[in-house]
Amino acid sequence: MTDDNVFTTRELEVYYGAFRAVREVNLDIRRGEITAFIGPSGCGKSTVLRCFNRMNDLIPGAKVGGKVEYHGIDLYDEQVNAVEVRRRIGMVFQKANPFPKSIYDNVAYGPRLAGVKKRDELDQVVESALRGAALWDDVKDRLKESGLGLSGGQQQRLCIARATAVEPEVLLMDEPCSALDPIATARIEDLMQEMKDRYTIIIVTHNMQQAARVSDRTAFFSTEVNPESDRRTGVLVEYDLTKKMFSNPGDERTEAYVTGRFG
Amino acid sequence: MDELRRSYHHELDKARADLAVLAAKVAELIPQATQVLLDGDLVRAEAIISGDADIDASAVEIEEHCIEILALQAPVAGELRQVLALMKMIAEVERSGDLVANLCKAARRMYGHELDPRIRGIIARMGQQAQALYATAIEAIQSNDASKAAALDDMDAYLDALQKQFIAIMIESKNGDVDLQLAVQLAMVARFYERIGDHAVNVGERVMYTVTGKVPDHSKPKRPKVQLDEAGNPLPSATQEP
Repeated sequence: MTDDNVFTTRELEVYYGAFRAVREVNLDIRRGEITAFIGPSGCGKSTVLRCFNRMNDLIPGAKVGGKVEYHGIDLYDEQVNAVEVRRRIGMVFQKANPFPKSIYDNVAYGPRLAGVKKRDELDQVVESALRGAALWDDVKDRLKESGLGLSGGQQQRLCIARATAVEPEVLLMDEPCSALDPIATARIEDLMQEMKDRYTIIIVTHNMQQAARVSDRTAFFSTEVNPESDRRTGVLVEYDLTKKMFSNPGDERTEAYVTGRFG
Repeated sequence: MDELRRSYHHELDKARADLAVLAAKVAELIPQATQVLLDGDLVRAEAIISGDADIDASAVEIEEHCIEILALQAPVAGELRQVLALMKMIAEVERSGDLVANLCKAARRMYGHELDPRIRGIIARMGQQAQALYATAIEAIQSNDASKAAALDDMDAYLDALQKQFIAIMIESKNGDVDLQLAVQLAMVARFYERIGDHAVNVGERVMYTVTGKVPDHSKPKRPKVQLDEAGNPLPSATQEP
């Protein structure tokens, strides 16, 4: 593992009860890059994403095997505080999920929990996070209004502002644009490019062109059918520079998936 | 697994088949143009020259089809390489059609001149070799066959050697009374054949790109030259590695 790697997984596997959802994932996630996870439904890409901030801890029966290291520290070590992990490694979900609070309180929520009390300090954090999420100009005159009153794309950017207000190092995005129209999608994609200098981003997307447009590296996951149980287990097929994955992939299965030739 | 996006794949295959057909049309014209040169057949020359417009029109049609595929289907990976290679190959084939027409224009300008039998012999061989190169290039296009594409370079070395011998013969016969106008036209004829060969080689390189993803590298060392005997037959290479 080099200093450039934020995450390293070795032989990562995740079980939901007795069912092995994903197996033997070996990945190095580079600092300051956008990494995209692509693959058909059930291939384990969201499951692997959730391992990076221990969101799987919250799913009853989920068990993580193998290793996930964050800057060389075992994320699943007993000493590691999952809440602290989630502060450093933020997450944005498929469906924008603002709290039923004002725009201001949505963004100030994390910093308040982290102990920021002073009003002017909070104001500054909120403004900076909203600016960072390209939302400030849209909402600066209605910070006291409910976050639920914003459009879908604005709500998603509010969630990004909320996630970044606590100054995480990593942003995990689980299909952040799948409920948005093309213009709102383009805004989020532009935002990702702007945020790249400050955060390491991992995005799960069903939209292959989105992966091609925004990411530096792409990991392609697929499923393998277990002949005995007829259950499907996710595997990492290929992981390389995005330009390579979309112009000359090394694995036939990647080629078949990115071209949409077989399903 | 079931094949998806079948109509789009059909479009891709059709664009490639259309290019192969166009290349075959050009290949068929090469021996005809050679015959025009050797026989001074001005009627046939005129037909080939005016027929070039059809080749140009077909080339535009295939290119537009490729642009449509790019715009509507956003191909990636091997399919992207196929469309990009087709776009490049269309230009090679279209230019080869122009060169065949140029051979016929040269025949018009040389009309009435008697050609040296050795020159006639080499023109015939260059025509055959250029046609052979094209036939191999077409097979490579049809099946994306990298081994066929790889053979083109060596085939072209022989055509290049014929061109050099052709020029050498012309220079030797300078002490006779070669008409300057004729000499210029003959030098251009040799050049046209040699260029047709080069275009076939370029087609092969794009087939290789489609298959391997490697963009042709023209900075690589030059291939060994082919030596010829007096009659224009290739001599076994003395410098061949064991």
